[in-house]
Amino acid sequence: MNAIEVNHVSKSYGKVKALDDVSFTVGKGEVFGLIGPDGAGKTSMYRILCTLLKPGQGNATVDGFDVVRQMTDIRRRVGYMPGKFSLYQDLTVQENLEFFATLFGTTVEAGYDTIKAIYSQIERFRDRKTGALSGGMKQKLALCCALVHQPSVLFLDEPTTGVDPVSRKEFWDMLITLKESGITIMASTPYLDEVRRCERVAFLDQGKIRGIGTPDEILTRFADIFNPPGIDHDQGSEVKDENVIEVEHLVKAFGSFHAVDDISFAVKRGEIFGFLGANGAGKTTAMHMLTGLNQPTSGTGRVAGYDIRTEHEQIKKHIGYMSQRFSLYEDLTVAENIRLFGGIYGMNDADIARKTDEVLERLRFADHKNDLVGSLPLGWKQKLAFSVSIFHEPSIVFLDEPTGGVDPATRRQFWELIYDAAGRGITVFVTTHYMDEAEYCDRISIMVDGKISAIGTPSQLKERFHQPDMEHVFIYLARQATRSSD
Amino acid sequence: MKQFISFIIKESKHIVRDKRTMLILFGMPIVLMLIFGFAITTDVRNVRTVVVTSSLDHLTQRAVERLAASEYFTITASVATPQDAERLIRGQKADLAIVFSPDFASKRQGMQFIVDGADPNMAQQWTNYATAVIANADASLVNSKMLYNPQMRSAYNFVPAIMGMLLMLVCAMMTSISIVREKEKGTMEVLLVSPVKPLMIIVAKAIPYLVLAFAILTTILLMGRYVLGVPLQGSIVWIYVVSTIYILLALSLGLLISNIATSQLMALLLSAMVLLVPIVMLSGMLFPVESMPPVLQWISAIVPPRYYIQAMRKLMIMGVGIGEVLREVVILTAMTVLLLAVSLLKFKTRLE
Amino acid sequence: MTLKYLIQKEFLQIRRNAFLPRLIVIFPIMMMCVMPWVMNMEVKNIVVEVVDNDHSTLSQRLVQSIEASNYFIFNGLQPTYQAALKDIETSKADMVLVIPQDYSRDLTNGAHPQVLIAANAVNGTKGAMGNAYLSQIVTATVNPDVADIQSRVSTLFLYNKRLNYKVFMIPALLAIVMMLMCGFLPTLNIVGEKEAGTIEQINVTPVPKWAFILAKLIPYWLIALFVIVVCLILSWLIYGITCQGPLWLVFVLAMPLALFWSSFGLIISNYSDTMQQAIFVMWFFVVMMLLLSGLFTPTRSMPDWAYATTYINPMHYFIDGIRTVFVRGGGMQSILHQVLALCGISGVMACWAVMSYRKNS
Repeated sequence: MNAIEVNHVSKSYGKVKALDDVSFTVGKGEVFGLIGPDGAGKTSMYRILCTLLKPGQGNATVDGFDVVRQMTDIRRRVGYMPGKFSLYQDLTVQENLEFFATLFGTTVEAGYDTIKAIYSQIERFRDRKTGALSGGMKQKLALCCALVHQPSVLFLDEPTTGVDPVSRKEFWDMLITLKESGITIMASTPYLDEVRRCERVAFLDQGKIRGIGTPDEILTRFADIFNPPGIDHDQGSEVKDENVIEVEHLVKAFGSFHAVDDISFAVKRGEIFGFLGANGAGKTTAMHMLTGLNQPTSGTGRVAGYDIRTEHEQIKKHIGYMSQRFSLYEDLTVAENIRLFGGIYGMNDADIARKTDEVLERLRFADHKNDLVGSLPLGWKQKLAFSVSIFHEPSIVFLDEPTGGVDPATRRQFWELIYDAAGRGITVFVTTHYMDEAEYCDRISIMVDGKISAIGTPSQLKERFHQPDMEHVFIYLARQATRSSD
Repeated sequence: MKQFISFIIKESKHIVRDKRTMLILFGMPIVLMLIFGFAITTDVRNVRTVVVTSSLDHLTQRAVERLAASEYFTITASVATPQDAERLIRGQKADLAIVFSPDFASKRQGMQFIVDGADPNMAQQWTNYATAVIANADASLVNSKMLYNPQMRSAYNFVPAIMGMLLMLVCAMMTSISIVREKEKGTMEVLLVSPVKPLMIIVAKAIPYLVLAFAILTTILLMGRYVLGVPLQGSIVWIYVVSTIYILLALSLGLLISNIATSQLMALLLSAMVLLVPIVMLSGMLFPVESMPPVLQWISAIVPPRYYIQAMRKLMIMGVGIGEVLREVVILTAMTVLLLAVSLLKFKTRLE
Repeated sequence: MTLKYLIQKEFLQIRRNAFLPRLIVIFPIMMMCVMPWVMNMEVKNIVVEVVDNDHSTLSQRLVQSIEASNYFIFNGLQPTYQAALKDIETSKADMVLVIPQDYSRDLTNGAHPQVLIAANAVNGTKGAMGNAYLSQIVTATVNPDVADIQSRVSTLFLYNKRLNYKVFMIPALLAIVMMLMCGFLPTLNIVGEKEAGTIEQINVTPVPKWAFILAKLIPYWLIALFVIVVCLILSWLIYGITCQGPLWLVFVLAMPLALFWSSFGLIISNYSDTMQQAIFVMWFFVVMMLLLSGLFTPTRSMPDWAYATTYINPMHYFIDGIRTVFVRGGGMQSILHQVLALCGISGVMACWAVMSYRKNS
């Protein structure tokens, strides 16, 4: 008997067809990948299988139970980690884990071995409120909460978004262990290395199954989507020998905890600077100090020639910023958002109108000028947010994980935009967890435990640490971490 | 059972960790009780009085002296013409003017009160008091007995009302918000997919608020008794029994709101608009129901706190037996059963 | 210049919201249509029962005059005091008048017999006023001398000749509507941006603090303006109650109050982490200020410590001022003090709102 059977399932929300005649089966003990771009209908599929939604047409069974009629039986034996798995922000790490363990009828002790690899990284923060953790740390805790019990079928909706490569690898190792004990796993992911670890994958696009097969089959068949050709970038052509960011001995302490611990580096004008590090290594905190959102505890820094401690409002005039969370106004239209931020930076109406058309033309967004931003797919939102952040032609733009959760094709388009901006002389300061993106940077630094442990061009780093690619460099350095993070 | 308990613990932690909300929840009844108990009164006191007279004959003088001696009136000025007095009143320098006719003593002509009528109740009370003081009415003719509330303190009237309002607020508003928050943050999905029965989630959510409601109820009763000196005439047991029915009613209302609302903001506004405004306005808490036009009286008939406040006023202040509030108790129970049934039936075990 | 774009953004957001535009229009209309009928503390329909142990002509005259009074509802005679008390307990009656045995005879003999008035005083105002009127009727019926004095007293109620409660309450309603609209909406505004994450994007832009806050204040100012106009028109259309003093003074009073409430809302919003917290804190202050403002009860009856709080309560100044203008027809001269106080308080609050918004921590 198959663990999951889906027969001709369709689902519509009003006029929008989320799922259109979807059929597939997943065998017992199989690791099955459900992949596809944002808005393809993956979340609807998970919700139907978890009995949270009723299918419009067709039927589906999980472990032999019908998703409509045998709701309680299914709920008793499945585990589900939604895409936006949310923890209780006001409970501590330990309390969250214990609550979810009890909820699923088990204890932390019983499930400890399964989650040890990841939980040991956050265990030292067990008494900290979850709300005070960084984004990636929360995701790790969410993984632990989802895996603490051992259901017979496990549904994971993009579980590793925003998680660093080391932890992602550990997470998938855990999944393989679970599979060995007979658990069926259905997961979705935007990372190609994770797709390759599935036994079979289904490619879902616009509510339809485009193909089912082994990862290699699917990735080759749809290579233009999953494996777009690399981008050519003539390195260093625009880089001038002039520092736009200079940081010396920068420290940010929260109580006795040094989130950023004495870092020094410089970024040259026109450079694409990759700022890498594991979750909680202190990247976002460092970026907040550079952008004038936070005051440093000690140390000095200059951005665009201004002191980060005293002249932060001056700095803000010369930089653009795109945060981890999508932060344009979802209830304004594309044009209205652009107009607002243009206006904030002191541009006049005529300039804004002219540049708006230019930007939308470049993004091929002209038709969506008057759409509400909230109604756009994630990838589009990210491209728009980037365009807005450089709309006023700043000298530096800060990008905090700009491509989290975005599919490969869109990521490639995103990087074309970054190169375009760099070509116009804008310095790009970017953090990412995609190591293929790290290769696109002119220079990168890798942060471990609040300190910068390596800095240089990608080829320099690979040479120095004798590793084949950036992924291995990163894992090599991050494994040396003593404190796991925050 | 273990799941149930850990659920309750988790929910209690949410409540206790939000220090500011806790402070308001317990600060509110205390401050309200103090305000109603000590600050707000409709007593006739410090009425700024102007005397208008051209000649001070002995009778006029005696009347003025009596006014000045009374605790109600303060003579602030003496002017010659009614026009002057009116000017003082308009300028908010006086509330009441007493015009004596020139030959008041000769009994042929009388006197006139010129009153600032902006506040009708107070205006009437001022004239009543002034007439009584000037006429030096033979008090011995009437023996007045103010039942239940001899000092006519407004606290007696308001303690039950505060209970009605706060219990509704805590149970309905906070429960609904806490359920909607889980929906909004996405944790509800995980809870629903877990092996725990949906009904258990709801009950476990309600219990901490139930406890909180009893804590607040007890605080109010203790404050009322020992700080404000409001007597608890009736049986404590019945007060708690009726309150329990009311709390359950409020909890089911909260559940109902959480079924309708999709965001915290909506739950907040719904509870504020649908619950708070009618409670304050139509329950007879501040404004007596019998003074409203019939249409509003009918509407107020479906406002649950109306019956609770009525029942509490009778039980606590008047000290009548449970038999006298049977009508209110029956109505409250019926409403509770109905709301609970509707909200449980409407509770969604799926996302749609 | 940036201000223009920020204000535009606030208006767009209000307009796009599914709920707010409707709320802004419907809420004041609802309030004006319903509340004046509700906010009526007029004491009427007091139910009186009489226990007549005397059965004389005098006692019958007494009963007749109660029956004739349009202030009381006469609910018949009861045989005993206990029976009447029972009716009070079940809320069938509010007051009992007990005429003792041989009342009429004792009175003619020069003794001083007393009738007993027992009133349900759970509602103090109702008890007191009922008692006063019933005493007057008794005194007037029994003691012709006093009746004489009473007949010589005439009363002129200024400004509100028919003692219409709505005249008293409608200006207060303006205050309540403004408080709810301008107080609660801004309270949710900045916390909302915090929860959505958009505030971070704003914080890394060079937008000046004052511009960001001002852009949030101005829309609520205009909303307040709109709401007041709606309320004034409705008050005239539905109740025929119009402003006795110069109309522009209403706006002179209302604008600083609107500024106060919206600044206050933003301050709370700046200090709060969640919407629930913000709403609870706001609600606490709203109730407090409302009760101590003199809207329902005269401030002068308060004990000194409570009266002292009215010096910093803008609602008190507003209600004092608006009643002077709207009901008593006072001019600028008579409310100068209130206007100055309101402007002062709201100015301080506006500055605080700007200061409490932090772009850099």
